[in-house]
Amino acid sequence: MSVFVESSDILPLVDLEIAFAVGGLQDPAGQEGLAQLTGHLMHRGPRGISRQRFEDELAALGARLSVEVSMRSTRFRATVLRRNLEPLLALVARVIWRPAFRAGDFAKLRRQAGAALTARLDDDQTLGALRFRRALFGGHPYGRTLSGSRASLDRIDLEKIRRFYRRNIGRSEFVVGIAGDVTETDAQALVASYFPNPGVCRRPDSKLPATRARRGRHVIIVDKPERTQTQLFIGTLGTTTRDAKLFPLIVSNTAFGGTFSGPLMQQVRGVRGWSYGAYSRLLHSTRRDAWYMWTAPSAEYSADCAALQLDLMERWIDGGIKRAELTFAQRYLINSHCFDRDTPSKRLEAMLDVELLGVPRRYVEEHDRLVSDVTREEANAATAARISHRDLAIVVVATAADVEGAFARLPGVKSLEIVPFDRV
Amino acid sequence: MKNAGRVPALDQAAADAQAPPLMVAPEKVVERLNRGVSKRNARWTFVGEQPFGDALALRRFRLGNGLTVLTLIDRAAPTVSYHTWFRVGSRHERPGKTGLAHLFEHLMINETRARPLGEFDRVMEREGAEANAATWTDWTYYYENAPRAALPVLVELEADRMANLVLRAPQVTSEKEVVANERKMRVDDDVEGKALELLYATAFRRHPYRWPTIGWMTDIRGFTVRDCREFYRRHYAPANATLVIAGDFDERRALILVQKHYGKLPRKEPPVSMARPKEPAQRAERVTQLRAPTPTEKLLIGYRAPAFCDPDTPALVVANEVLFGGRSSRMHRLFCIDKEIALSVRGSIAPFVDPGLFEMWLFVREGKRRQDALSLLDSELSKLGTRGPTRLELDKAVHQLELSFLHGLETAGGKAEQIGFYETVARDGAAVFDRLAAYREVGAGDVKRVVQKYLNPSRRTRIEIIPDRS
Repeated sequence: MSVFVESSDILPLVDLEIAFAVGGLQDPAGQEGLAQLTGHLMHRGPRGISRQRFEDELAALGARLSVEVSMRSTRFRATVLRRNLEPLLALVARVIWRPAFRAGDFAKLRRQAGAALTARLDDDQTLGALRFRRALFGGHPYGRTLSGSRASLDRIDLEKIRRFYRRNIGRSEFVVGIAGDVTETDAQALVASYFPNPGVCRRPDSKLPATRARRGRHVIIVDKPERTQTQLFIGTLGTTTRDAKLFPLIVSNTAFGGTFSGPLMQQVRGVRGWSYGAYSRLLHSTRRDAWYMWTAPSAEYSADCAALQLDLMERWIDGGIKRAELTFAQRYLINSHCFDRDTPSKRLEAMLDVELLGVPRRYVEEHDRLVSDVTREEANAATAARISHRDLAIVVVATAADVEGAFARLPGVKSLEIVPFDRV
Repeated sequence: MKNAGRVPALDQAAADAQAPPLMVAPEKVVERLNRGVSKRNARWTFVGEQPFGDALALRRFRLGNGLTVLTLIDRAAPTVSYHTWFRVGSRHERPGKTGLAHLFEHLMINETRARPLGEFDRVMEREGAEANAATWTDWTYYYENAPRAALPVLVELEADRMANLVLRAPQVTSEKEVVANERKMRVDDDVEGKALELLYATAFRRHPYRWPTIGWMTDIRGFTVRDCREFYRRHYAPANATLVIAGDFDERRALILVQKHYGKLPRKEPPVSMARPKEPAQRAERVTQLRAPTPTEKLLIGYRAPAFCDPDTPALVVANEVLFGGRSSRMHRLFCIDKEIALSVRGSIAPFVDPGLFEMWLFVREGKRRQDALSLLDSELSKLGTRGPTRLELDKAVHQLELSFLHGLETAGGKAEQIGFYETVARDGAAVFDRLAAYREVGAGDVKRVVQKYLNPSRRTRIEIIPDRS
């Protein structure tokens, strides 16, 4: 168990986080959704107290408890009025180490998870994002969905949840973070008192294979009726967290599509008014994660917008960024960094990422220097080395009949596939 | 000024470090700042000071041209939040020109007489500032959250665009297209957005709340440069705005900067507030069906609700918390867990200057009937109106509201937003704390009374969303 404290008496509030390095990547193949169901079932309360009573007690303390399960972590987060911190700690400890796992709750939760999959069909942006990751990563675990599918949820039963819990959470190492109106000494004493179990099992080792990009440019149209506007994702592999080229890539991507003033936003929105938003994002993880551009153009010029983005991307990768763009991106990243740490909970989150996700500590402590040290040559070399404009997944949520021909004519397209929106 | 590099970026942190701690009374500060200032528009008046919670103080100043400035020093983080609230929203538009107030959110980042297109954002981003804006029925606000050293730049650029915006055809055409795309994303292709628009269009017959803030598509397509110039002249002026500066800054230096950049703007009388259109009383339920490409049925219901400043509103907010506030609320338990008839439910009360709607959403599950969901809702509302909430429910509601309130004040930006909202809607930037006190005063009898008074089926509008499987 590691404990991090970030004291601040500005508000009579305390944020608490208990985090485990386990998430959707630990789902067995065919049982996608298991980690998320486990976290959410724990959230239904501990043994010896009804779900209803548990929720009433939490609310009466002026507390909120949530569970966030990602592909790499499970985080129990609570916020509480300072005066009620101790009873909250007692309650949260019971939730985590004595979960009830009632059969009735599980049955309801699984039906709810299934209903959420249906409701997701209303959200075009989410449909596009899910399909984009699948198109980019194929059968690699990075291409999985956290929530699973109807079929994978059907394969999960209560015993599998219990087993997953025992193996990955019940006796595992964990990280505790406390931020807000509590001193370091008090926080350490409270944690020692309420969380005496230090966790004995080491974190799961995922042993993930490397991610590989599919050769060529591949278009996938997620076909949905009556779309006047489209969701467009264009991207390829990005990089890893520990890549020496990470900061040069962050600076280069910021210059290209990370700000309102960058060429991507200016050309798509400023000059043409084609999309409300236009951004590029660089994700990083233990294996190469995604780099992608997102826009939401009207169906009538969605393919034109895609062609423009491809052209801008090629110019960015082949031509590199200019010195003025580099300086601008560096100033933006350094000056705006204060908003990554302007509240105790944000400062805490950065520390937990170091501990939990293997983010090098110097990325947090020496952020400004790492950004300002990047040269134009390094930024451009990193972009050319890591981002490919030849191997691309191009995913568009649209009414296929309206856009199919135009997308098939995009330069260099090797294949085009149409997927019904309810089979994403 | 045409070059972003020439915008003065004074290092305020360094200047502050050299300056002695300032304990001068605000009256004295104002007196000194007014020495030698002959132009009436640039002369300061100190209006007063109010406590803002236990530790902070909200000060109110006014420039001779009518600009109100509220300051809140809070040194929790080395940041500053700069808000400009204008008392103009979609209610100030007219039929055929809906969406103009919102279009200005977009136009305001364009060129000014002093700065070319794109420079506003370039300068803001270079300084590390997050700049954005929001528009609703009663107001529009522009904000920057920035490192404290950027304050001089924020003051200069905001003052510039308040008076010197250049409105030409290419920018207006381009931004109209962006807004049309935004509308497609948020309304036309979004079932919730479309239903919400239909709810207000059905519930209101006279009041401007009947049209959407983003505007009707035909109106957006039809805006002319002349429309935009006229709207700007009418509504964008110091006397129609409130500046809120919150965070880690030197108040005296901020007042000097504001005086320098805003003091040269002429005084224009704010537009005469339009007569409040009286909405005819609703005597029967209104029901409209919306067929949409969506997998499940949904119900959106709007009950007539009081204005934000109405004395009944705190009790109704507590009722909403009892009904819809989180996992232990009545409706969540009943609909989502016990009966499993809905995937999710939510409720909210529109915080409008005039009476608006108490909106309730029921996201019905596949295979369940919306009629059954409605019966369940009616039955539960009736129970609350008859028996009232329990003591535990009241305590939970107030605790949760307090938690939300405190969270809202965590950052300088959160504080500035609350102050700007309360100043614009309730005419008192510090009233946010009165609202919290009002929640604590609400009793079970109050909740019963407002539920009976407002959550009456004959005074509601219902949008039934039905999956279109054609």
